[in-house]
Amino acid sequence: MNVPGVRFRPLKALPALLNRSRATPRPCYVSKWLQSRGLQVSTAPPANAVPLRKHLKDEAKRKKADAKGLGGPRRDGAVTARLQKWELTVGIEVHAELNTACKLFSSATAASGDITAVPNSNVAAFDAALPGSQPQFQVATLLPALRAAIALGCDVQRKSGWDRKHYFHWDQPNGYQITQYYQPFAKDGTLKLTAEDGVPREDLLGAHSLSIGIKQIQMEQDTAKTSHHPPSNYHIDYNRSGHPLIEIITLPHIHSPQTAAAVVRKLQGLLKAIDACTTGMELGGLRADVNVSVRQRGTTGSLSYSGVAGLGQRTEIKNLSSFKAVEDAIVAERDRQISVLEAGGAIAGETRGWSLGSTETKRLRGKEGEVDYRYMPDADLPPLFIGNDLIDHLRSSLPELPDATMERVQREYGLTEKDARTIVALDNGERLEFMEATEELLQPRLPTNDSLELGRMAGNWVLHEIGGFLTANSLSWSDLKMYPIDLADIIAYLARGEITSRTAKQLLEYANDGSTSRGIGDLIHDLGLQRRPLSDDEYTELARTIMNENPGMVAAIKEKGQKGKIMWFVGQMMRRGEEETIEPEKAKEVVERILAD
Amino acid sequence: MLAVRCRPSSFCSLRRVLLKHHVRAEKAPTGRAPLFHTSTRVAKAGVNDTLIGKYIAVKDNIVTADQPTIASSRILDGYTSPFDATVVKQLRAAGAAISSKASLDEFGMGSHSQTAFEGAVRSPFTRNGEALSPGGSSGGSAVAVVDKSAWAALGTDTGGSVRLPAAYCGVVGFKPSYGRLSRWGVIQYANSLDTVGVLAGSVADAESVFEKLDHHDARDPTSLPATVRKRLMPCNKEKPGPLRIGIPREYNISELTPPVHDTWISALSALRSAGHTLVPVSLPTTRQALSAYYVLAPAEASSNLAKYDGIRYGQRTPGSDASPAEGLPLYAKTRGEGFGEEVRQRILLGAYALSSEAIDNYFIQAQKVRRLVQRDFDRVFIARNPLIEPTEMPELEGVAAVDILITPTAPTLPPTIAELKRQTSVESYMLDVFTVPASLAGLPAISVPVPLSPALGDSMDKHDVRSVGIQILGQFGTDSLVLHAAKVLEGIYARP
Repeated sequence: MNVPGVRFRPLKALPALLNRSRATPRPCYVSKWLQSRGLQVSTAPPANAVPLRKHLKDEAKRKKADAKGLGGPRRDGAVTARLQKWELTVGIEVHAELNTACKLFSSATAASGDITAVPNSNVAAFDAALPGSQPQFQVATLLPALRAAIALGCDVQRKSGWDRKHYFHWDQPNGYQITQYYQPFAKDGTLKLTAEDGVPREDLLGAHSLSIGIKQIQMEQDTAKTSHHPPSNYHIDYNRSGHPLIEIITLPHIHSPQTAAAVVRKLQGLLKAIDACTTGMELGGLRADVNVSVRQRGTTGSLSYSGVAGLGQRTEIKNLSSFKAVEDAIVAERDRQISVLEAGGAIAGETRGWSLGSTETKRLRGKEGEVDYRYMPDADLPPLFIGNDLIDHLRSSLPELPDATMERVQREYGLTEKDARTIVALDNGERLEFMEATEELLQPRLPTNDSLELGRMAGNWVLHEIGGFLTANSLSWSDLKMYPIDLADIIAYLARGEITSRTAKQLLEYANDGSTSRGIGDLIHDLGLQRRPLSDDEYTELARTIMNENPGMVAAIKEKGQKGKIMWFVGQMMRRGEEETIEPEKAKEVVERILAD
Repeated sequence: MLAVRCRPSSFCSLRRVLLKHHVRAEKAPTGRAPLFHTSTRVAKAGVNDTLIGKYIAVKDNIVTADQPTIASSRILDGYTSPFDATVVKQLRAAGAAISSKASLDEFGMGSHSQTAFEGAVRSPFTRNGEALSPGGSSGGSAVAVVDKSAWAALGTDTGGSVRLPAAYCGVVGFKPSYGRLSRWGVIQYANSLDTVGVLAGSVADAESVFEKLDHHDARDPTSLPATVRKRLMPCNKEKPGPLRIGIPREYNISELTPPVHDTWISALSALRSAGHTLVPVSLPTTRQALSAYYVLAPAEASSNLAKYDGIRYGQRTPGSDASPAEGLPLYAKTRGEGFGEEVRQRILLGAYALSSEAIDNYFIQAQKVRRLVQRDFDRVFIARNPLIEPTEMPELEGVAAVDILITPTAPTLPPTIAELKRQTSVESYMLDVFTVPASLAGLPAISVPVPLSPALGDSMDKHDVRSVGIQILGQFGTDSLVLHAAKVLEGIYARP
């Protein structure tokens, strides 16, 4: 299509701050050499990955059930009574892989999301813990971490440090993970959630939104990826080893499984929106640990976590890899704890595991099996100093956050909250950009309409008309061939009454079937698609025909004075007449004139 | 341009000698053959460069791409690094040839070089027929210099590991300030203390090697950056003149043996006669420094040695590590068999010092002592510590302030191997009492051999080392001043 002008700009152009020092050895050396040790795996898709579509579907189902007042699946009377007696408290730790060009402490490519990468091909000396290698902090990895901290409203610390957390595991080449235990880089943030984010009404307590405290965010290294080949072989891929992560720790401010899932979902959306993170839970880019405790309502427990006092003994469930797993694991653990307590037992502070599809959490290790991590400052790494100038710069260049975008779309384009949420969430924001461009092009075309009207029109078309067209033809957004200027033309012709809405829909198909490169104006002209108004005689003829067919109705109006029936004739005319050629006012005028004769 | 090429053939016999002295030949892994030939381009301006064609032995905890590097540990048996350490690269670039990889105490943990997996290092000196300790942990490097199979050698010094073998073998051993020489490629023992050092026959030779290596390296995050190096410049330009020499009272300990004591006193008197000023000073935390060192070094070692699991390289005990029989924890077999006794002991000590129940009383306390040790030094040196903010600098001792300190390197002459076997761990740790403080504070320190007095010398076996290591310490960054003072001391005893 030969259209001047608007093509959407590339989204979120990442300032590629590739700070590559000439670090040796080149990653491939190490890779070759690792491969000579036979440390190679065939990449397998991550276990437990639930496809995004299925997630969304489940989510929609759950919301529907929630709206009906069921408040979640399988909630019978007994469960409700139980939950009225016991209060759940949850804190979450989310580990998110940062979107960076290189690893945290080496210049090797950080391509852990790239499942096509040859195993052990992106590995520098330090990532494989070769003797004599040292960490080199890659400053560029700090940027996405800082964006996350700013987006979550954290206090970024001027000085933070690096500590070693020791434990043996084959996915941990150094025998320790470098993290920020004593001095994290960001503290004291908040995450705001509304009912639309999936928070149940009873958690909102009548307020519009709920604030969950963020205790801290720390940077740390990811582990290598292992795959188990039973009975006792493990294959290790060090591509992920040393990939930068942030760990986001919430305060125990969460009181329902649905809210917990909503927190993780919201964090994922936020991290994606600011480009801190590219792979979501479905690809293993995000993992969550949850701390769960219960106490009887109206009582205070004797324990305190992260400064929140009065809580019951908590357990930790590690490594949850989907929103559903977060929710289901908390439901199961809550119910287990209540049962134990009601039976007169006590909760042990322990670490538990959860596998998808199960109904119970499983004990992994108790207090006695706890690892003493022997945290020690890493003497090789100087403290991290973050200047205010950098924070200010990042704050001013931070992409708009999803909540702010939604609010703006409602305010500036007059969309409903539901439509605004949808258009912001769909297709990586491309629909939103398309709509914005269309609205801008509509302004000179329909100068008498205000921008809210134009916005609503553009939004309606982008969401519903184009959406319907794509669904009907089993296409996806990326298959769309038209440009915003085409849509603006269609809407403008339609709004001026120059084409019918059926024609408008037809034009949508023409503009996207790839059969033509002509503009909308040319198409209308060449194919004779303009709406043709009826002449006065044609109106009269149509009215008379209908009246002749319905003498009873005519009599009712003429003799009994039932004026309301005039509109029945108008309706009939509109049904009979060629689509959208009958203007109701004109039709009424004609019917009244004939009846008055 | 000038190309330097050393023919490999002429070194075959030399190689056998080397292996005999430093590495037990039968355990020497194949490929350990020293690679003597080197092809190096040297700029015209560098034709008179001191290192061209010189043979330099490298301690086996410094990685080389052309020969195995096993840090004298079974757990690294057969390991060849895919890269050269920065210091090795610098030596090669300066035209030197790496003549051999010198044995050490496993991972540098020891003072006598007797714990190497490939076999103990033998000192060329004996006392009444009994073998003497060559000192450690850079014992192989010291012996290579003594028997002239290498012109100079690189060692590493964590708590005295360059200075002690230099003292026991009668050569010069220089430990520069922490951060001046790159540690990229140096196998870590206690990384906040580990320092690459130089052993050589004379101070001038040690200095010429040091100068080639004294550059910032971006690969070592603890390498002093150019900005700090610039601040060190004033110290370096100090005009040679009469020195103010401090004598720390706390170093006159009861364990000091008469030959060491007398040689120390005679060296000091000779310096005074040469016009230098002697000043008694006090370093009150000297004793605690040793205890702090033996908490901190094992703690860091337990962390740094956690990477040796037999998975990616090195020795691995056959069988499953993932689900070991007998309820052993992960890697217990591989690590139990791969590490020697001393290394296992220090890993356990260090793991305890970092455990949640002990960290406050051990690791944290030791860090505080370390800071006190540094403040002790900052109080007595005229030169200010460039790493400390001026506001945090302790009050200077005024009239008592000095340029350098002179102490013995070790309290005794080298013990015989037989005596060592009767020592407890604590007795042998005691030997490090004079070397450890400089390590904790990261100061430059050098051990210079001072001959025994004729009377003492005549009374001893002529196969004995017949010299005492005298240590010179300076403020952080005053490496040139320390080397200058070492030349002064060396000059007093030079034969006309």
